[in-house]
Amino acid sequence: MISLVKSEFLKAFTTKLLFILTLSALAFVLLTVVLGVYLTPGPPGQEDVNILMEPAAVTNIFSSAGGASVFVLILGIIAMSGEYRNQTITSTFLATPKRQRVIIAKMIAYSILAFVIALIMWIATVAVATVLLSTVEHAPIEWAAVFEILGGALLGLVLYAILGVAIGALITNQVAAIVIALVWIFVVEALLTIFVDWIGKWLPGGALNSILQATNTSGFGGTDALSVPAAALVLIAYTVVLSIAAIVMTNRKDIT
Amino acid sequence: MGIEVVNLTKSFGSGVTAVKDLSFSIAPGKVTGFLGPNGSGKTTTLRCLLGLVSPTSGSATIDGQAYRELTNPISVVGASLEASGFHPARTARNHLRILAVVAGIPNSRVDQVLHTVGLSESANRKVGGYSLGMRQRLALAVALLGNPKVLILDEPANGLDPEGISWLRSFLQHQAGLGVTVLVSSHVLSEVQQTVDNVIIIRSGSLVYQGSLASLTDGGPLEVVVRGPHIERLKEVPGWNTRAGETGSLIITGVSAAEIGHRAFTESVELHELREKTPDLEAMFLGLTQSEGSES
Repeated sequence: MISLVKSEFLKAFTTKLLFILTLSALAFVLLTVVLGVYLTPGPPGQEDVNILMEPAAVTNIFSSAGGASVFVLILGIIAMSGEYRNQTITSTFLATPKRQRVIIAKMIAYSILAFVIALIMWIATVAVATVLLSTVEHAPIEWAAVFEILGGALLGLVLYAILGVAIGALITNQVAAIVIALVWIFVVEALLTIFVDWIGKWLPGGALNSILQATNTSGFGGTDALSVPAAALVLIAYTVVLSIAAIVMTNRKDIT
Repeated sequence: MGIEVVNLTKSFGSGVTAVKDLSFSIAPGKVTGFLGPNGSGKTTTLRCLLGLVSPTSGSATIDGQAYRELTNPISVVGASLEASGFHPARTARNHLRILAVVAGIPNSRVDQVLHTVGLSESANRKVGGYSLGMRQRLALAVALLGNPKVLILDEPANGLDPEGISWLRSFLQHQAGLGVTVLVSSHVLSEVQQTVDNVIIIRSGSLVYQGSLASLTDGGPLEVVVRGPHIERLKEVPGWNTRAGETGSLIITGVSAAEIGHRAFTESVELHELREKTPDLEAMFLGLTQSEGSES
């Protein structure tokens, strides 16, 4: 298994995808931090109120690190479906005909990569957010809450990377896999949550938001959230179910 | 190590039966040609043999074992299936390293196979910029990586220049000489004619011939071509079966050239040509694979 994971790392580091997605995620996360510090509006009717005087609003800026989750999900999807797209899946399965070993190795490799990406997002978020916050008037930073959020980001990103690999194995058409995943997160889940508020927190995106303790800004997760451990269990459950489905499907699949 | 295909059938979900009750066996240490027109089921058969496609029924084994049960498969079987299975942004060396790591093969072996197939100088270039011939060479390098005892190559001559094809021929014979079992598929007989010891010919997923190339042409009637100003007189010889050949020649079936020459001499028929027709393998092959016309 160690040699298979090494092989997956080699695959990841011999194309530019990992680099490009990490940089994109970093840009996105930092942009969210900047917007969070300078452009967070007050509640309706009190737009000129400085919301950053609320400790919760300050803490929420740090949950930006979790914004990398979509990029990590896409990374996992491309890692798996890309093998079908470029037909490298043939030589991969010729070298390792017990296909579940390939999928598990990929999940381990991308969990580790997602962990490292999460750390990068973490450091960048903390560094940039503290510097930017020092330029405005704000409530004191509650570091205990911040570290809890960042811990959630680590777990969330790792689980999203594994989910991505599973989705890429289930939907081997790379473009379809990415489109379906994004439509699910940004459209289906958002709509479901608008119409059936309680359902949001039980869906993958809502569960991730609960883990990140991000304020609900776009309908994800509904108005109430699960506790962090409960949300983690929900997301782990999705990951396990989809991973098992991915392994079963892949083992049955004809590689033509 | 031999290859055994027994009653192999593969139907795809779309209702297409690519391989129908196919059985053949391949002797170890020989080069066997796997022939058939495009779409005859060659690739599906090879993919069943390599554990990539699950047979609907029947089995395909290597040395008695299903591919998916082999513990270190690329050290047993080397396969190249299509020229396009590479990430365009990755270099040839990195492709090989990725596969080598899985099987615990050292990087020195990667450089060795790159050298064998003549890609040493392009090893650090992205495969996206490779020609079809270079991709074929890289696919062959992948197959050789584990120093396997069985080589399974699907249309390896596709896209190779004449120099490459001639190199491939001697390479495959060299491998067979080392005791490697070689199975090489092609839809063009002439590509493998000079290389193979035995052939397996399939049409529409079913076996039409298995055996040596030589015995493929055995049993065909002997034909002699004669040409000359008065050859029509030979048509009247009782018991001779004759028909008109190209450009005024006459083809006589079932009589040796010596006998015809003697008869012409005694009858004072002037001859400008007297030649035994060599069996036309390509025609035999086309006859076997297309005789029912409707399938190709």
